[in-house]
Amino acid sequence: MFVALGPATLPCMPLETLEEKVAMVWFLAARAMSVADGNPETARQAAGGLYAQAILGISEEDCLSVKSGDLLDEMTLLDCLGMLRQLPREYGERIMTGVMMIAYANRSMHPLEVRWASTLASALEFSEDDFQRMCVNARVMSSMLDVQSQDDSADGSLDRDPEVTA
Amino acid sequence: MSDSSTNFGFLDRCDPRVSHLARQAEHYVHSDPDSCLFKLRLMIELMAKRLASLAIPGMQEADLSTMLGMLEREGSLPRRQADGMHAIRRDGNAAVHGNATPAPTAMRRLHDAHRLSGWYARNIVRGGRFDIGEFNPPEPQAPPSSEESDLHDQIHALEDRIEERRRRTRDALLLFRENEDSEAVCKRYRIELKALNMVAMAAGEPLIDADFVALVMAMDLEAIYEHPAFGGDSRHARRNAESQLSQVKSDMAEAERAYLQERAELVQAMQLLKRRQLRGEA
Repeated sequence: MFVALGPATLPCMPLETLEEKVAMVWFLAARAMSVADGNPETARQAAGGLYAQAILGISEEDCLSVKSGDLLDEMTLLDCLGMLRQLPREYGERIMTGVMMIAYANRSMHPLEVRWASTLASALEFSEDDFQRMCVNARVMSSMLDVQSQDDSADGSLDRDPEVTA
Repeated sequence: MSDSSTNFGFLDRCDPRVSHLARQAEHYVHSDPDSCLFKLRLMIELMAKRLASLAIPGMQEADLSTMLGMLEREGSLPRRQADGMHAIRRDGNAAVHGNATPAPTAMRRLHDAHRLSGWYARNIVRGGRFDIGEFNPPEPQAPPSSEESDLHDQIHALEDRIEERRRRTRDALLLFRENEDSEAVCKRYRIELKALNMVAMAAGEPLIDADFVALVMAMDLEAIYEHPAFGGDSRHARRNAESQLSQVKSDMAEAERAYLQERAELVQAMQLLKRRQLRGEA
């Protein structure tokens, strides 16, 4: 599929570090997947922060700074695809896994969710085997984060706000 | 406590049990802040159960955190109210487990409970009109000395820091900002996704294997781990992810432990001051 091949246009604020770029691509890709089913209510509650911080290694500070700037609102999904192609492959795979994890959250996939997953997979030039492996890992991750939240529920759902075990 | 001296009189006709607990919490806020937190914790548990019975029947037996999470995801509990309930739940749990509660902390949670009660009453009695009024902090029996006031100021500063850090952590975990117009964002992304879809269809681009995705979605985890092609990789991915998650969780828990420790030291300073006052030394 055609996606922007050149460097993404980054108005206003340059994204200097790899971590900032990963954070920007993650939030664009994940937010798009979370709204693809057309339900802003679920989008409002969508949390992917644990995945972003634990698996992608994005700091809390970078999560906040990417979301607070205007850049996130100005960038398009084509910018996202362009930036995704420039990231080291390992990050691309992790972002794709996380995005699929979000798609799995409501146990069904809307046609636009399928299209967004396909578009990301094409941008990353995934083979069928790559995609299947990543897809299975997303399923494992999704159950794991779910179970982790349940396990911690006596003290606080991890994907909401942590607290000391009491 | 007479009706004129309580902040929660409006709850009587909406939920007498909740009202009773709120009044008890109010009564204990200065004399026994731990008990105040016990009562508030129980109060929001009753509120959550009642909300759950209306919105998601069958969830009333779940623990409080799970119930709040379900209510929030289901759309019955707005984020701000959920934050207030979680704050009471957390401090209530800490008090139950022997972490002493300073009176200013109990007062903050009581204030939260008042705000939550107004929202709760309006939700339980649809169309009901409630005169909630401003929250009037219950007065202590004796005004605090200047040393006590200093300690109270330190506790308030600490509570401000705790609340700010929790808010930042929560905001970092969510994909959307609290004040973001998610409907507008949803619309914008969907327009872009539809355009991408049209371009891809016109170009004859294939979709991912949606049947495979559906199969994986329905698969039992054990079946995945035993799968000849994916099992090994999945187990490896899980082990790595567990260790990374555990690190993040541990860092977050450490920050909370540090705050509880700081709070405990301030409570201890307050207790020492009271002892000195009793001995006539302060």
